[in-house]
Amino acid sequence: MMEELDLLKKDWKKNENSYQQISEVDIYKMLHKKSSSIVKWILIISILEVLLWTSISLIFNTDDYFKKMHTEYLIAYFKYFTILNYVVIAIFIYFFYVNYKNISTTTSTKQLMKDILKTRKTVKYYVWYNLTMIIVSSIIGFALAFSTNPQMSQVTSNSKIFAITICVMIVFMAIFVGVFWLFYRLIYGTLLRKLFRNYNELKKIDL
Amino acid sequence: MSENLEQSFVKQLKDNQNIIHKICRLYTSGEDAHKDLFQEVTIQLWKAFPKFRGDSKFSTWAYRVALNTAITLYRKSTRSISTVDYESQSYFISQEDYNSEEEEQLKLMYQAVHQLNDIEKALIYMYLEDKDYTEIAETLGISEVNARVKMNRIKGKLKKILNP
Repeated sequence: MMEELDLLKKDWKKNENSYQQISEVDIYKMLHKKSSSIVKWILIISILEVLLWTSISLIFNTDDYFKKMHTEYLIAYFKYFTILNYVVIAIFIYFFYVNYKNISTTTSTKQLMKDILKTRKTVKYYVWYNLTMIIVSSIIGFALAFSTNPQMSQVTSNSKIFAITICVMIVFMAIFVGVFWLFYRLIYGTLLRKLFRNYNELKKIDL
Repeated sequence: MSENLEQSFVKQLKDNQNIIHKICRLYTSGEDAHKDLFQEVTIQLWKAFPKFRGDSKFSTWAYRVALNTAITLYRKSTRSISTVDYESQSYFISQEDYNSEEEEQLKLMYQAVHQLNDIEKALIYMYLEDKDYTEIAETLGISEVNARVKMNRIKGKLKKILNP
């Protein structure tokens, strides 16, 4: 076997200079082309995600809702809630930036993979944070509606209808979260399949 | 970035381009894929170049970035190429220096190497380039002992493919 590998090595070295050479002009051209690496894609998708979720939380105007429900006293509480939300967004963006900057092609392969996964995880947590927020605020919203809206209190008085309403809401939320989960599996699954495969392969070597 | 930096980079890359060609050859099949990976490696090298201090050789630095790009950053799957075109490999073998039995063996060897997974290819690449185990372990981020063990396994695997 060693003989065969030596043969391969000999041939490999012999062909060292058999590659069609790329000129300086062509290298210059390549420098100004756009990268299509997975890191670039993760960055693009992450920016889109942060923009999407931030705009959703901005569009959702709670003040009007409270006025309609005649619960204006809650507006002040929600101001704090909104400020907290901005702080969380800022923290996420900061961590994302730091993680993204840490990605370096000159570290070891394993470290590079870890750094990429870390960056992607930051965004994942951000999305889960937003999903949780949406669910929590819809639960609060429904609870408020039940307790303050006279039409709704008719529903609560009938336990059967109330139970059905709660069930429908739970199913609706489960579908909502499920769709997102599938969507993420699809996007990141395609993007990171190769990375995960190679990462596991590296981890296996050190077991 | 300054023009001087760009000039110096292009010059060094041109002189060391065979490093990248060799990695492209291992990780892709077909001329288009080869060029595509070469371009992505070039972009990644250029991005990392401002931090290149020159405390290691350009060639050492470049092959690491190239391997990392091929294994991790490059988006197109490098594994779907299990059916390698035999003939495309054969032009590397110059007819005069080998007897037909050796030629046949080489063909099989290259085909077997192409069937390895991305990490195994990296190990074989470093073996063919005479890198020592300290460097191999450092490049991949695994322990030296395990790099040795894995290398022996790959050699065994190749042997099995060649002598079933």
